[in-house]
Amino acid sequence: MTSDLFTDYQRGDFFDEVFDPQGEIRPHYRPLVERLRALPPDELLRRARLRDTILRNLGITFAVYGEAQGIERTWPLDLIPRIIPADEWRHVERGLVQRVRALNCFLEDLYLGERAALRDGVIPIWLVQSSAGFCREAYGIPVPRGAHCVVAGIDVVRDACGTYRVLEDNLRTPSGVSYVLENRATLTRVLPLVFAQHRVRPVNHYGASLLSALRNLAPASASDPPRIVVLTPGIYNSAYFEHAFLARQMGIELVEGRDLVVDDHVVFMRTTRGLSRVDVIYRRVDDEFLDPAVFRSDSILGVPGLLAAARAGNVSLANAIGNGVADDKAVYAYVPALIRFYLGEEPILPNVETYLLWEPDQRAKALSRLHELVIKPVDASGGYGIVIGPKATEEELAAVRKAVEAKPRGYIAQEVVALSRHPTLLDDAQRDGCRVEGRHIDLRPFVLTGEKIEVIPGGLTRVALRKDSLVVNSSQGGGSKDTWVLAADENGESV
Amino acid sequence: MMLARHAEDLFWAGRYIERAEDTARLLDVTYHGLLESPLLNAESAWRELLELLNLDQVFGAKGVPITDSAVTEFLVLDPKNAGSIVRSVARARDNARNVRERISTELWEAINTLFLELRARDLRADLEREPYQLYRFVKSRCQTISGVSAETMSRDDGWRFLLLGRMLERAEMTCRLLSVRFGRSNQAAVPSDLHYWMAVLKSVSAFEAYLRAHRAQIEPQDVLEFLLLSREFPRSVLFSLRASETELVRLGAETTPTRPERLLGRLRADLEFMDVHEVVESGLPAALDALQQGILAVADAVERHFFRAAAPPELHVFESA
Amino acid sequence: MRFEIDYTSEFKYPEPVWESQNLLRACPTTDARQTLLHYELRTVPGARVHSYIDYWGTRVDAFGARAPHDRLSIHARSSVETRPTGPMAAAPAWKRLSDPAFVEAHLEYLSASRHTAWNEALRAEAERRAAPAGADIVGVVLSLHRMVGSSLAYVAGSTTVGVDVNDILRGRKGVCQDFAHLLIAMCRSLGIPARYVSGYLFSESSESEGEPQGECVKVKTHAWAEVAIPGAGWWGLDPTNRQEIGPRHVKIGHGRDYDDVLPLRGVYLGGGDHHLDVCVSIRRGASAQQQ
Repeated sequence: MTSDLFTDYQRGDFFDEVFDPQGEIRPHYRPLVERLRALPPDELLRRARLRDTILRNLGITFAVYGEAQGIERTWPLDLIPRIIPADEWRHVERGLVQRVRALNCFLEDLYLGERAALRDGVIPIWLVQSSAGFCREAYGIPVPRGAHCVVAGIDVVRDACGTYRVLEDNLRTPSGVSYVLENRATLTRVLPLVFAQHRVRPVNHYGASLLSALRNLAPASASDPPRIVVLTPGIYNSAYFEHAFLARQMGIELVEGRDLVVDDHVVFMRTTRGLSRVDVIYRRVDDEFLDPAVFRSDSILGVPGLLAAARAGNVSLANAIGNGVADDKAVYAYVPALIRFYLGEEPILPNVETYLLWEPDQRAKALSRLHELVIKPVDASGGYGIVIGPKATEEELAAVRKAVEAKPRGYIAQEVVALSRHPTLLDDAQRDGCRVEGRHIDLRPFVLTGEKIEVIPGGLTRVALRKDSLVVNSSQGGGSKDTWVLAADENGESV
Repeated sequence: MMLARHAEDLFWAGRYIERAEDTARLLDVTYHGLLESPLLNAESAWRELLELLNLDQVFGAKGVPITDSAVTEFLVLDPKNAGSIVRSVARARDNARNVRERISTELWEAINTLFLELRARDLRADLEREPYQLYRFVKSRCQTISGVSAETMSRDDGWRFLLLGRMLERAEMTCRLLSVRFGRSNQAAVPSDLHYWMAVLKSVSAFEAYLRAHRAQIEPQDVLEFLLLSREFPRSVLFSLRASETELVRLGAETTPTRPERLLGRLRADLEFMDVHEVVESGLPAALDALQQGILAVADAVERHFFRAAAPPELHVFESA
Repeated sequence: MRFEIDYTSEFKYPEPVWESQNLLRACPTTDARQTLLHYELRTVPGARVHSYIDYWGTRVDAFGARAPHDRLSIHARSSVETRPTGPMAAAPAWKRLSDPAFVEAHLEYLSASRHTAWNEALRAEAERRAAPAGADIVGVVLSLHRMVGSSLAYVAGSTTVGVDVNDILRGRKGVCQDFAHLLIAMCRSLGIPARYVSGYLFSESSESEGEPQGECVKVKTHAWAEVAIPGAGWWGLDPTNRQEIGPRHVKIGHGRDYDDVLPLRGVYLGGGDHHLDVCVSIRRGASAQQQ
């Protein structure tokens, strides 16, 4: 009997996306696994090389901080897709829509309303006021239809029981959706027959949906159709590829700060035929760099007078200024309470169990179990600065203990979520072929707030490529998978 | 209508590619002209070339004597010489990268490949052993870039600025060539040496075209007229100006001509109706100088009219009590 | 007292500049001790002004000048009526400062900010000065206020904005912003909420009561502090002039420090340096109420 790709596969003690606890293949994965098993090993390698060629030709790259060359690396996409059945996705989708709706309400209330959640003690005032993301300059800047988070990336994981939990909200300039689209385009070319066996919900309408959401944001004084641009920091930004990609998908201009000018509180583009008015800006420049007249910065990435123009209601910004307070890791712990407060509903998607280290009891308990928990600084992003207790050295634990005791309001602790695992294809140099091993994954769905709140089916599944690693960020060596959400039939079952 | 900044990048990409190609061509002719006619004074030939490229003072500041290797290295690979081939290509590549979203992948790759290949070569060794190969390589790659852009770019405003940059640069280069070869000397001292004029024609790849128009007779004034006024030869000043004018008109408004259009129109008309013999009598150097200044004025007017909206990056922040 | 205030900023640029964007905070506020009666702003070159109230409650005027210009004049005229406030009569006990509700209501004025980041030496000095007053908050604050006023020499132009408050203490000199920052830092280091105030002072050219109306003085914008006394609200102190706030002080607004309420901030493109002249003239007007 010949062995196949999955013969030596170890499920381990984790929730496995493909294999259930009895080692049986979950029904929605059967056609895929059978197909993969049937492929001869060198065929798989050939497909992998085809994938590499396609990605290279499409120019899909990303930059990794700290790499000496400072050049772009080809995007690591695993051949084996992640599959989510229709009913599971429905649950996740409802939870995401609910969460983003509550976050939009919170931001509207905070910057433009009565701050009811603070007044009624739902979330401590000091937390908001001391949050690095709380932006006093956002106070009073109108946001059409309360769409503060036009694009939200809500990171979701599955714990050991298979429960979907929200790990983190990303409400400022979340990136990665271009990879979602390119992953799909690539995989349909590399595994066309497998793809055809499933009814996978499409994702390539993202550009149209985003454009529609941006149109929905147009100020009253805008022309019809409103003039929309994508504002990028420029070619040296690590996500530049995505900025250019999205501008192309939407058929709108990609501009840098220096291409725009504000005159009498109206924003214009500098063109060869003079100034051309802009109504909506999808800005991928961070708050602090957006307007040198307001924010303390000498950078030329922004547009002087942009905030005054937004205040005057002559231009709309997506995402709005000041969202950082809502994706603050400390505020994260209160989001379920915000859902209850603003929507009067129970949260559909739970958080990861989180301990607030500024509460003396929780801090004491957490410090006694430091080696079992994940400690996150409230102010970091991209996975940097996080200490994973079970993996940390004694020195690292001592250092973080000291840091927490010095500044308890700067940290939260969370249970280590045994992230679910998924069979992932690895090159096997010895056998001159491939083998399949389990790797931890997470999911970043993209949620758009337009006239309605819409979620793109699936999202970016990120894979921690290093064995046993839990760190999935691409900037730290992670990879990704195409994510297939199966269409439902009349019974709501996956097809 | 396009972003002023992109238009400026394309305009300058065109200029820098043309500059690199023309420099390679001029170097080729000068170098081989000296090989073929060892009686010519090498130093004055190189000096003339440096003057032609307006780099004589920059070179002089280096304080090294004028020799084959010093000048060729200066013009090909010196990173401190803003007009060197290496620098021109690097700048063209920077410009192209800024507008990568607007140009075709093939065009980007053509420019990027030239840049990378130049960087990978040992240019000093090339210049020592086989300069001909190097110059031919640069010329041929620049011509590829020309061809690729013509075949893969839509004839939109971006294309027009690219072409405009190349044509204006070409007109100016040819004008300078003529200025140095003709304008400096007075009538009596114009060399009657056949090889000299052949070299002048070859430096703009016009030798064969000229022969077809004038047969084997090479008269200095005919050469001057050909390179100034030929409507058919693509590197003549008039041809380049007319090509520039076509693009400028398409870039302009429908109703009234823009200022660069008006300047260029007048310049082109003055040239078109020039009587070369009359001009040679009355003062060729001044006429050629005026022509060159006119081209610079057009380029300046293009910048002001189309790119002036593209702001400089110098931002001042102030606070006051 | 009623005042007519003329605030003028004149920019001169050696070479033309363009696309300037500015944020002006020059408009007197309305609160318990003063009422803004009138305010208007004109600029040359003329600009559309967008006005709004910022997070701290201060009126901001935003305006720009796109076309190339070699000078920019900003002229704001306002008239305001101030009322005297009674002396600080409260005497709350020290422990009132730790009352959670009090702390929460004054959170933003208790932490260090960019210009009021105190070090251990400054805090120790504050403690030393405060010790004699014991557990009397008002006494402690007065003690600090006097200390700042007497320790620092007022030397116009001696510092630029952004000088470290610890260096101010060491260097023993500064301008009104520094006096205010130092007092604020010292109060905060002891847990007493304090905030920075920007405004105008109709400084006394003569001490007598009943100054003739129409008298005009030329000043700069002035800075002082307000300290929160439990149960008694905000108490204004002017350490530069070693006095409590009175009807001659016209407040523009407050914040954590200078950054939150700075009078004029902006950017422009091109040119080089700029030359700026700021001139404020205050004139006493006919008061609506009897003194």
